[in-house]
Amino acid sequence: MTVPEKPAPLAAVESSRTADSGPQTLTVSVGPQHSGSGHMRLIIELDGDIIVNAAPDPGYVHRGIEKICEVRNIIKSIPVIERPAIIDSSNLNHAYIRAIEELQGVEAPVRSQYLRCLLNEMNRIMSHLYWLSIFGVFLGHTTMFMWPLGDRELFIDLAEKLTGARITHSYIVPGGVRRDLPQGFADEAIKRIAYFEKRLVEYDKIFFNNPIFTSRAKGVGVLPRSEAIAIGATGPTLRGSGVDADLRKDEPYAAYSKLDFGIPTRKEGDSFSRAIIREEEMLESCKLIKQILKDIPAGPIRRKAPIVVPRGEAYSRVESARGECSFYMVGEGGDKPYRVRFITASFRNMSAIPVLLKGGHMADMTTAWWSVDYWPVEAGR
Amino acid sequence: MSAQKTAQDQDDVLAMLADSINVWVGKLSEIVQRIVDVGPIRSVVNWGRIYSLWPVNITTACCSAEFGAASGARHDLERFGVLPLGSLRQSDLLVAEGTITKKMAKRLRMIYDQMAIPRYVIAMGDCAISGGLFHDSYSIVNGAHEFIPVDVYVPGCPPRPEALEQAIIMLQEKIRHSKVYERG
Amino acid sequence: MILSQEREQALIKKLKDRFPSEITEARVVRRSRPEILVKPENLVEVATFLRDELGMDHANGVSGVDYNREARFEIIYHCSSLQNKETRDIVMAIKESIPRNTPKARSLISVWPGVDNFERETFEMFGITFDGHPRMEKLFLTDNWDGPPPLRKEVRFPTD
Repeated sequence: MTVPEKPAPLAAVESSRTADSGPQTLTVSVGPQHSGSGHMRLIIELDGDIIVNAAPDPGYVHRGIEKICEVRNIIKSIPVIERPAIIDSSNLNHAYIRAIEELQGVEAPVRSQYLRCLLNEMNRIMSHLYWLSIFGVFLGHTTMFMWPLGDRELFIDLAEKLTGARITHSYIVPGGVRRDLPQGFADEAIKRIAYFEKRLVEYDKIFFNNPIFTSRAKGVGVLPRSEAIAIGATGPTLRGSGVDADLRKDEPYAAYSKLDFGIPTRKEGDSFSRAIIREEEMLESCKLIKQILKDIPAGPIRRKAPIVVPRGEAYSRVESARGECSFYMVGEGGDKPYRVRFITASFRNMSAIPVLLKGGHMADMTTAWWSVDYWPVEAGR
Repeated sequence: MSAQKTAQDQDDVLAMLADSINVWVGKLSEIVQRIVDVGPIRSVVNWGRIYSLWPVNITTACCSAEFGAASGARHDLERFGVLPLGSLRQSDLLVAEGTITKKMAKRLRMIYDQMAIPRYVIAMGDCAISGGLFHDSYSIVNGAHEFIPVDVYVPGCPPRPEALEQAIIMLQEKIRHSKVYERG
Repeated sequence: MILSQEREQALIKKLKDRFPSEITEARVVRRSRPEILVKPENLVEVATFLRDELGMDHANGVSGVDYNREARFEIIYHCSSLQNKETRDIVMAIKESIPRNTPKARSLISVWPGVDNFERETFEMFGITFDGHPRMEKLFLTDNWDGPPPLRKEVRFPTD
């Protein structure tokens, strides 16, 4: 391949100019190479210091996963499906397998439902900790970069004991899960969770109650309730704006109907609410893991399920760390699906970013957009 | 004709002067290169380069999660001197983490061109080596070496942070044994 | 857990009573998953009715499917309601079929603003244009692919 030529200059901005942007606006490209952006570009129009318009430019990590799923059989697609939100991979895996099991009419045994919930909650904690560490470094709080990543390793070790892999578990398969709980897992997990809950108190001291953080995050990036609902926001972005929607309670799947937990919600809709909700969700997940390890029944972990996608359609969804991850699958017999439509939480929250950046300061941009936990790889799939 | 001739004469003198200074400076820079690229000075220069490999602030795809974990508390990359700090021009290392789409490839090439010499590239993850899991997809480039020269390949999907640390150590060994003025 | 399909049947009945000729098919696929097949020209009114009268306040997504053997594209809008906790699990699928050689459809962005990026993606992946969408351009594939819309069935993988 020859050296690629330079891309056309910001053609997208010309078409994103609205009636609000007068002749004085300056267009800034917060591009993929930026210490405050992820693998995506935000094309921001500024009037002085105020953001007039912000258009996300995704596609830097678009790998064509929906097409790939049509040419690989369902087991080989599992690693591909996990990769978009690699830090939260088992939730995506779970949604995919639920769609297949609905089409096949197979129900996984009860013990495997508990194990699926266990891995899902561990992934939720791991994902929130990664988000928190990048939030810290975006705000310049380097201690908050190191601490959550270090504590995340506690859970990564547990996941490695359970599934064999650090973050790409490929643990949930049609009919159940791949491996059972190893010896001594429950004691180890409970010790680590007790330590982690004490650590969360220290996070409060240095970060969530830190006056610098609260002044930078309160009132920043406000997403009003009605707009959050209309734009299709999901997950903590929606719960931060006053809607207590969580699929684990609204449409219980796996073993969640038998477990007792709360849904943190806030009314203000600003970056601080979204941040504090994620911390509280981590505490709820710890509670859930302890319950699961106490209540898990004995039994088989996998039922025989064929590697076939029967004729029909299925829509399944799961509450991943960032929100609702849904699959619409069309099968026609054979081992490969006819169509896999994969809508992730970040893809839905991408519409919320322009809404909450508008009218804010450029200096608050990173706080506002990262508090949505928009993961560009997940949006691009 | 005569006016031109006198102009030519003047030009010739200046040009000859410029040429001779050029040759003198050229010979001087050759001499400096020869002195530096030998024993002690080379070791010192390479020592400085090895222990301050600053990567660019660019993430390519999902391997960035393991790069982040590698920079974190347990596998601290900063003890090798690897710190994503400052601008593109001050960086020496480009880590192509994960799958490279065609859209990102153009930007990676621009970034590589803008980095100052010496610059090194680590291709992290199976996707950056050969396309990995997504090798037949319509929107990706099968490997970073298609458009930038790679120094170290790290296999894995994603590679463990320990694998990334080993890659940095290998790169450091490579730099330790290379000439100072080799990179061009 | 509610095991019967009363709520879904009630929703479908309300829709069929209001739009007897515009909705050509309606059924409950499984629990919490009702679906209706609407004629493309009546899509906007049905969607507006769903949003205003039946409380479906947001769209969960837009999917396109290429049924090339039947020479048609199918566009499915999934929508659901956040208002009452008891009906939050219902996801209504609104399907429309458009012919494959004239892929044009009406945009629902005036009904649910959240379908903006989904319709753009369906445009670039299948080539279906949505009339009424303010920015019908590529979303993910700029500089990434310059061939035909990739999710069409005639675009094959080298390993397929």
